[in-house]
Amino acid sequence: MPEAELERRPASEESVDELQPLAALLAADVVAVHLSPEDGEPGLELSILDEAAPEEVRSQCVDLRSLLRERLGALALEEREAVLELLDEVAAADPGSSDPVGLATSRALIREALRDPLPPTAVERDEPQGLHFDSVLALDDNAFYVRGWARDGQAPLTRLTMLSPEGSRIELLPGIYREPRPDVDSFYEEPAHTGADGTGFLGYCETRSPSLLSGGWVLEMENALGVAREVSGPQVSRDLLAARAAILSDLHKENRWDTVLMDHVVPAVTRIQQRLEERAAIKEVWEFGEVPRGAKNSIVIPLYGRIDFLEHQLAQFVHDPELRESELIYVLDSPELASALELSAGQLFELYGVPFRVAVLAQNGGYSVANNRGASVAGGELLLLLNSDVIPDGPGWLGRMASFYEEQKGIGALGPKLLFEDDTLQHAGIKFQRPPGGGAWENEHYFKGLHRDLPAANVTRPVPAVSGACLMIARELFEKVGGLRGMFVQGDYEDTDLGLRLRERGLETWYLPEVELYHLEGQSYALETRHAMSRYNVWLHTRLWDSEIEAVTAEIE
Amino acid sequence: MSAKPKILYVSHNHPTIRPGGAEAYAYELYRAVRDGGEFEPLFLARTGPPVSISSRYHEGTLLTGVNEDPSQYFFYTDTLEYDWLNGTPRGKAALTKYLREFLRATEPDIVHLQHTLFFGYDMLREIRQTLGEGVPILYTLHEFLPICHRNGQLVRTTTEKPCREESPRRCHECFPEVSPQAFFMRKRFIQSQMSAVDRFIAPSNFLRDRFVDWGLPADKVVLEEYGRLPVTAAPTRERRKRNRLVFIGQLSYFKGVNVLLKAMKRLQEDEVDVHCAVYGANLELQPDEFRAEFAELLEATKETVSFEGEFNHDDLPMIMADADWVVVPSVWWENSPLVIQEAAQHRRPVIASDIGGMAEKVHDGVSGLHFKAADPADLAATIAGAISSRKLWDELQRRIEPPYAMDEHVRSLTRQYKELLASKASDDEEELVTPRAPATEIEGVRYA
Repeated sequence: MPEAELERRPASEESVDELQPLAALLAADVVAVHLSPEDGEPGLELSILDEAAPEEVRSQCVDLRSLLRERLGALALEEREAVLELLDEVAAADPGSSDPVGLATSRALIREALRDPLPPTAVERDEPQGLHFDSVLALDDNAFYVRGWARDGQAPLTRLTMLSPEGSRIELLPGIYREPRPDVDSFYEEPAHTGADGTGFLGYCETRSPSLLSGGWVLEMENALGVAREVSGPQVSRDLLAARAAILSDLHKENRWDTVLMDHVVPAVTRIQQRLEERAAIKEVWEFGEVPRGAKNSIVIPLYGRIDFLEHQLAQFVHDPELRESELIYVLDSPELASALELSAGQLFELYGVPFRVAVLAQNGGYSVANNRGASVAGGELLLLLNSDVIPDGPGWLGRMASFYEEQKGIGALGPKLLFEDDTLQHAGIKFQRPPGGGAWENEHYFKGLHRDLPAANVTRPVPAVSGACLMIARELFEKVGGLRGMFVQGDYEDTDLGLRLRERGLETWYLPEVELYHLEGQSYALETRHAMSRYNVWLHTRLWDSEIEAVTAEIE
Repeated sequence: MSAKPKILYVSHNHPTIRPGGAEAYAYELYRAVRDGGEFEPLFLARTGPPVSISSRYHEGTLLTGVNEDPSQYFFYTDTLEYDWLNGTPRGKAALTKYLREFLRATEPDIVHLQHTLFFGYDMLREIRQTLGEGVPILYTLHEFLPICHRNGQLVRTTTEKPCREESPRRCHECFPEVSPQAFFMRKRFIQSQMSAVDRFIAPSNFLRDRFVDWGLPADKVVLEEYGRLPVTAAPTRERRKRNRLVFIGQLSYFKGVNVLLKAMKRLQEDEVDVHCAVYGANLELQPDEFRAEFAELLEATKETVSFEGEFNHDDLPMIMADADWVVVPSVWWENSPLVIQEAAQHRRPVIASDIGGMAEKVHDGVSGLHFKAADPADLAATIAGAISSRKLWDELQRRIEPPYAMDEHVRSLTRQYKELLASKASDDEEELVTPRAPATEIEGVRYA
């Protein structure tokens, strides 16, 4: 049996003296595929044919299509599949291509030439096999979130396999998340052998080699009797924000954080968050007035949606000389508002004379990214993360926080007292609480809603965590721990995650009630989206920190 | 400083464009100070739609002159771009460019604001920023707009009852579409701007107390009534019965005209011999519901009430001459109603609601009578009692004090201006907490 072996060799020593990456070979217009049974063992050599190649080399060359039709097409199915798998492996190891789409297109061509399609499924009431491929959300070139259903009235399913347009195979069983689909089940006459797991499936999966094409996904199924079917997939969706919303909305299918569903949602959302973070680089920095160089304190304030908060803050900061001496860095996390902000920021500087900088992100990156980006251009020893809807009650607060931070040994993060607009407590430190029965840990603000003068809330002390709405940390330390983690969605739980990471390093988080600011929260987001996000964040937070939270909760009460 | 200190008066409107109480007073004060000769006053009046038809006069400036008077200017601002909640223009160029240029060119030594409406409260910041700490800023509070988003009415939208206590929660109840947080930010924003003011002038104790409760420092708010130019009092006609009433004011819910008409209806049903003339304008601006009720009540009281409509201020002596009593039935607090001062000038006792500025300015049983605000039955009883005795009317009229005179008012303000100038001069060493505005243009400050 000729073993299909791919080697990458130059066509002629003179023309090409380096190994050709697979991408270039398959994507090139004039491609030589050279089957050379040199030493009796038939091998496959692919190379770009140089125009100057000697005639004897040219004569032995075929183009890709001819190769597929004339030589490989004649191979047995098993061998053809082995060729496809080999190509997948080579493509996965390929260091990168100048024409990735060309490569993908060639591979799709090869896939179609070499594979034997299975019989198609028809969705009919008396048909035992039913298969549907609802959606493919691309999270990057290798990561996907898929959704569909599969049922078999004849025998249990033994495999459920996705085939990428480029020929990567992904086996979904047994790891994929199964969910009941009573709508599908009731359509069929026979009960399915799918078992208690449910007819529907959804989840996160990865292809071995990159998949770039939008069309051409195939879903295959096979049952214990060897009956196999396939169905073609939908167009791939590549909108990350839409994908995130869709994936987060799946969370309502479960009531617990520690289920298989989260094993799929977490890697998917984490990947989306990483990609959004990569896109949200600082596009430009504007400077209004002379922001003091060498200032001790840097204040980083993300602006999201409500750029009018800038005016409200400046109208208060103008009364505090310490704020003029600090490095004030606003981070615009709503790039679509850049031109409106530019005009207004210039005029507001003219009016208030408080110098500040604005770092504009290229794309919306979310709360943690905006803070991290702002911190990356900060120069102060101390960093204050501040929300745009926080307003001081009077001057002098920043200096009081800074001196406490500097004097307190073993401190990691520091948070002040935050107030609602009716002088009740919004924040006096954060503790964790879980519902009975091992549900997810929820962040709970101490004494929320009680009066600002409550004696118990006036105790300076270490707490499990403090709110990121106003959080002080040494800039070097912040950088060392990698800033806020972007895996949380849109501003929630990053602050307690930071507190727990600091605790891992043996550093304490302190609450400082002598400093009071107003936090006018909840004006930036629509409540509906906030809900799905916060369900995710709370579950993720518990997944990451369950035992540590248990420990810190026992320690500080 | 020139020989005569320059005072810049700022008004939200010019009385020649549209008459109104506060702007008429502001303009009279400007002229009285000019005639006094101790100061060189400037009068800057905001204009533009909806008050005037045109929105801009000259290209490249927001200023135009007024009646060839070198000391008066119109300043055009854009109400479409005005943030009504926070009382601030959305774009700041009117302040940071045009007002700043005006302040630098005119260099006032004192600024006395009568209103910041349509300029924005942040004009206070701009004035302080550009003129520095050494220039006293005074601000006459004519109404309650800084406290109450409902046009300063201090009447709850939920119950239409006078409001005694503002808070983010209660304001949000009146305006459910505005969050409590937004109301909190509004208050802090306005207070931040107002902190640039050295002295607030309150025409009534009631208003003063409300603003101190709201958060203005008590030592910064002084009581100083509106000064009135002298007029010849309307003649008092000899009549057997003192049964002729008059209402002079906006025909709106808040001015309580319908409360008066309801009282008149009762009196008419009781066949009491009484008559009331109703003078007032702006009926067309009122909600349909109010107008319908007003029309219905007029119809029901046509035997005892005559509706006279709009009137010319010059006709006031004639109107007063025909009346024995002036009724001020407002269902909101009022500040220091000018009509009460006018009644005093013409020596007519006032029947007024027993709340706020009205209760303060009319002394019950001394210079007039109180009735329970918004209560037509009590007003009817009060009127019936008032007209039943000629002696009562004579007694009340005898005790009416003449209103605060403009020349006295100018003398008092002059003292205050000088005192503030002197205290600023002695503060000079420790000043400059707020540095003066940067000299750069907006375009010049941006670095990418």
